[in-house]
Amino acid sequence: MENTMSHQELKPVDTKQIQGMLSRKKGKMKRFLSYCAHCSLCAESCFLYMEHHKDPQYMPSYKAINSLGKLYRKNGKVDRKLLTEMKGIVWRNCVLCGRCYCPIGIHIPSMIAFARSILRSQDVYPQLDEVSSESWL
Amino acid sequence: MLAFIRGQLISIAFVVFVLGLIFHFIQFFRLTRKKEWAYPPLEIKSQKKTPGQWVTSCLASLNGTLWKTYPVVTVMTSVFHVFLIGVPLFLLGHNMLLSQSWGLSFWSLRESVTDVLTVVVIVCAAFFLGRRLFLARVRAITTAYDYLVLLIAVAPFLTGYFAYHQWFDYRTVMTIHILSGVVMLITIPFTKLGHMLFFFLYRFLIGTEYSFARGARAW
Repeated sequence: MENTMSHQELKPVDTKQIQGMLSRKKGKMKRFLSYCAHCSLCAESCFLYMEHHKDPQYMPSYKAINSLGKLYRKNGKVDRKLLTEMKGIVWRNCVLCGRCYCPIGIHIPSMIAFARSILRSQDVYPQLDEVSSESWL
Repeated sequence: MLAFIRGQLISIAFVVFVLGLIFHFIQFFRLTRKKEWAYPPLEIKSQKKTPGQWVTSCLASLNGTLWKTYPVVTVMTSVFHVFLIGVPLFLLGHNMLLSQSWGLSFWSLRESVTDVLTVVVIVCAAFFLGRRLFLARVRAITTAYDYLVLLIAVAPFLTGYFAYHQWFDYRTVMTIHILSGVVMLITIPFTKLGHMLFFFLYRFLIGTEYSFARGARAW
């Protein structure tokens, strides 16, 4: 376990790979991000938001903006600390149940799933046996 | 300068607006593909309902929709968006200018009606501003850009209201009104105001669980 953890933490971030991945889906994902009206009407469609006493961090739009949105804003130039922060957003705060509803028609689960793929490409993903103060599942 | 603003600049704004939307429309079709399959339509033969049952089923169908979870916001946003597009199109002053310039015009609403509807748009915008300022969940994702977009959307209505009632210096207010309209037209295709087009493309053409139509295309 310790080896895996240290491997995750020590491996340098491959910015070029992230940029390549971001570029492949740029047309669709940047449109989703740029047309989000930040209205928060998606909030109550998320059962985790409701379950966590309406904590804004669990809003579908918040999760997309603060994971994939940040990756695009920084053009993939991110450090491992930021990727680790995103890990919590895209894996712990979202279960990809696909129930989130956007009045404009933005498909939020595909954004979270894409953010997960990017994080996974950098070996950032939850370890089921990792020592954590919070449960992942 | 005023002649340029009232003349060529408006034409430039319309050209940028139309070409921008056409560009994004074409891009949408390039980014999506024809859907290869679709769920067959459900063939449910329901029994004839009494008026009471009909009302109950209509109310039940609202469960889980925004009409049930956020009724006030849903009404406000629907009214805001309909009038945001409708009021300028059916405003007598605009149609007279259109008729003079291009020899065509839409049917016009009475000025007293558009005056009230303008106030409705401004009130709705104030409501959205209030949400951004005071609701934690909206504030959590709000940036300065969101306030700017709201200002771009409502400025033509505010200045139009001031100009109609001849508040402040009429020529200055009218110039600001035209400029704010130009800014709105030009920014629609390139900012999040573009959801005016993408709402229809995403909700009607992309086939998903929440589509308004069966959806002929997929990402």
